[in-house]
Amino acid sequence: MLKILLDHMPLEDDIPALAALHQKGRLAFKALPDKKTEAYKYTDIQGALTVAMLERAKKTCIHADDGMCHCHAHEKSLPFEAYEFHFCNGCLHKHFHFIEGVEVMSLRDAVKEHEASRYINKFDLENYAFAALNTAYADEGLFIKISQNIDRPIVLFYHHDTNLMSHIRNIIVLEKGAKAEVVEIYQGDEAAYFHNIVNEIFISKDALLRHYKLQNEGKSAVHVALSNVQVKEGGVYESFCLQKGANAARNETHVFLKEQNARALVNAAYFGTKKQLIDTTTDIEHLSPLTNSNQIVRGVVSDKAHGVFQGKIHIFPHAVQTEGYQIHKALMLSDDALLDVKPALEIFADDVKCSHGSTCGDLNEDELFYLRSRGIAEDEARQILIKAFLCAAFDDIENQDIKNLFDALK
Amino acid sequence: MTNKPILEIKNLCAGVAGKEIIKNFNLSINEGEVHAIMGPNGAGKSTLSHVLTGKPGYDVRAGQVVFNGKNLLDLSVEDRANEGLFLIMQYPVEISGVPFMSFLKHALNAKRKYLGDKELDAPAFMKLVREEAQKLGINSDMLKRAVNVGFSGGEKKRMETLQMALLRPSLAILDEADSGLDIDALKVVSQGINDLNDGKRALLLITHHQDLLEYIKPDFVHVFADGHIIKTGDKNLALELEAKGYADFIKEAQC
Repeated sequence: MLKILLDHMPLEDDIPALAALHQKGRLAFKALPDKKTEAYKYTDIQGALTVAMLERAKKTCIHADDGMCHCHAHEKSLPFEAYEFHFCNGCLHKHFHFIEGVEVMSLRDAVKEHEASRYINKFDLENYAFAALNTAYADEGLFIKISQNIDRPIVLFYHHDTNLMSHIRNIIVLEKGAKAEVVEIYQGDEAAYFHNIVNEIFISKDALLRHYKLQNEGKSAVHVALSNVQVKEGGVYESFCLQKGANAARNETHVFLKEQNARALVNAAYFGTKKQLIDTTTDIEHLSPLTNSNQIVRGVVSDKAHGVFQGKIHIFPHAVQTEGYQIHKALMLSDDALLDVKPALEIFADDVKCSHGSTCGDLNEDELFYLRSRGIAEDEARQILIKAFLCAAFDDIENQDIKNLFDALK
Repeated sequence: MTNKPILEIKNLCAGVAGKEIIKNFNLSINEGEVHAIMGPNGAGKSTLSHVLTGKPGYDVRAGQVVFNGKNLLDLSVEDRANEGLFLIMQYPVEISGVPFMSFLKHALNAKRKYLGDKELDAPAFMKLVREEAQKLGINSDMLKRAVNVGFSGGEKKRMETLQMALLRPSLAILDEADSGLDIDALKVVSQGINDLNDGKRALLLITHHQDLLEYIKPDFVHVFADGHIIKTGDKNLALELEAKGYADFIKEAQC
């Protein structure tokens, strides 16, 4: 597996800056993490990868015979107005909307014109094997620079129907005082593919980004995503990610609250069935005084599903008067389901308020009985209660259209 | 009166965790009748309502319960409800995250599906709920909340009564075994029950004092002690019981 990954790495490119980026990734990538890697102790992504998934993505959409893509993802439209961008089998459809106050480019163009250089690879690749792998391969993605309030959500669709691997690199920049909603929707069919995404997000002074993600990849897929977020003074990063797809998945969010009054809300939910492995990992770094973070995570595992939650709040020395809260609650609906939870607080400053908690249990029998006693069949009653349980992690989403995306669980 | 029987309980023995609480219990309820079961706290009155509705955790050791011609004990909790059994709960559970309206819609459509009727569309459903809610003094704000969350005891009872009015059960069981209903809530619930009683339905009241019977007039009063009915009479029996107290009454009845 490792040999195929190493052998296929692109060694040159028309764009020298992109070739240089690939080289950085190549040098940083040593091996796929295994159980001996602390951050992947519970999450065996390597074991879920197959040789069939390691085919490289084509540079143009394989469904485009006349230059237009006719693939499934393109047909599906949202029930609300949005600026939509589509990736099909790892290939970005290049007909962009013009959005007032937003600069949008493909990753290739952004790298070529040196727009991206200020923002790319702004974290230590050595610590993130999959991000290093992404860097070694990435030649597709979006560069989105937002300079004012955006009137509708920006929605990124990712669709796969072919056995291959996609390494997508997005850069999202919010300039001073800008405000935007970005939604990512991941979907796929039966195909066995490996989707490895890195988002680098920069939130300037007093800017606000609401970042939502619905991970509903195909059931044979492997999904690994890292969002690396830097928040400046008074900036706000609010996010929610629901994971219910893929055979094995990990969504990792790493937030750096770099200046005073920077704030992050990193909520998540997961719903694992059959033999799914779903990992939610967060790391919130409070680097400055008066920073604030909150995390509400809800999970459900049934059948033989394996859920993993690793959540860290790290408070640096001098980051006084900060607040960091985290609560994880899970339902285990079968004896064969497995849950690994590792909350961690690392506090190196005095005068801070921090808390974390984790619970796990079954559905409440009295609630179930109440619904059934009103004629609702047991299966349906269970679904209602599961949905209500998960809902606590996304109940606060203001945009009702976006909230509805997560409401439709099945 | 040659009314059809709705519920027939014969020699029912049931309990919880190996302890027998209902012992050789017999009761017949016909269409149009209101029955009250009275007894001291801890006599097992609530166990009876739980066994009838099929709450998990209770064991039925012996006996038979026929409900509208069907063997009630063979039916699942939801099928008992859809067959027309409705329990007005003593302490309705709060379910956060489940909007009350969506819960009502699930319940109504479950019953319609069971009976082979088409599901209600959204406008018809809204109209129906608004009409019934108005009669019970339930405002639209209360309907927007999650199931029972943040409601006072009286408000919860109103919402229970609303559910009953919408589901139109053939037998309603009002379990007030040891909760003290305030007078206002009592009036609302009893009005709802009286409105529903069109002669084709029946009501079983479970209570430990006779306040409730001021508002809902029972045709029969049964005194429940030691797991079964020790005496049956008309509404005057409730007054007699109240005057003497349970301890003396039971002692007398057992002599």
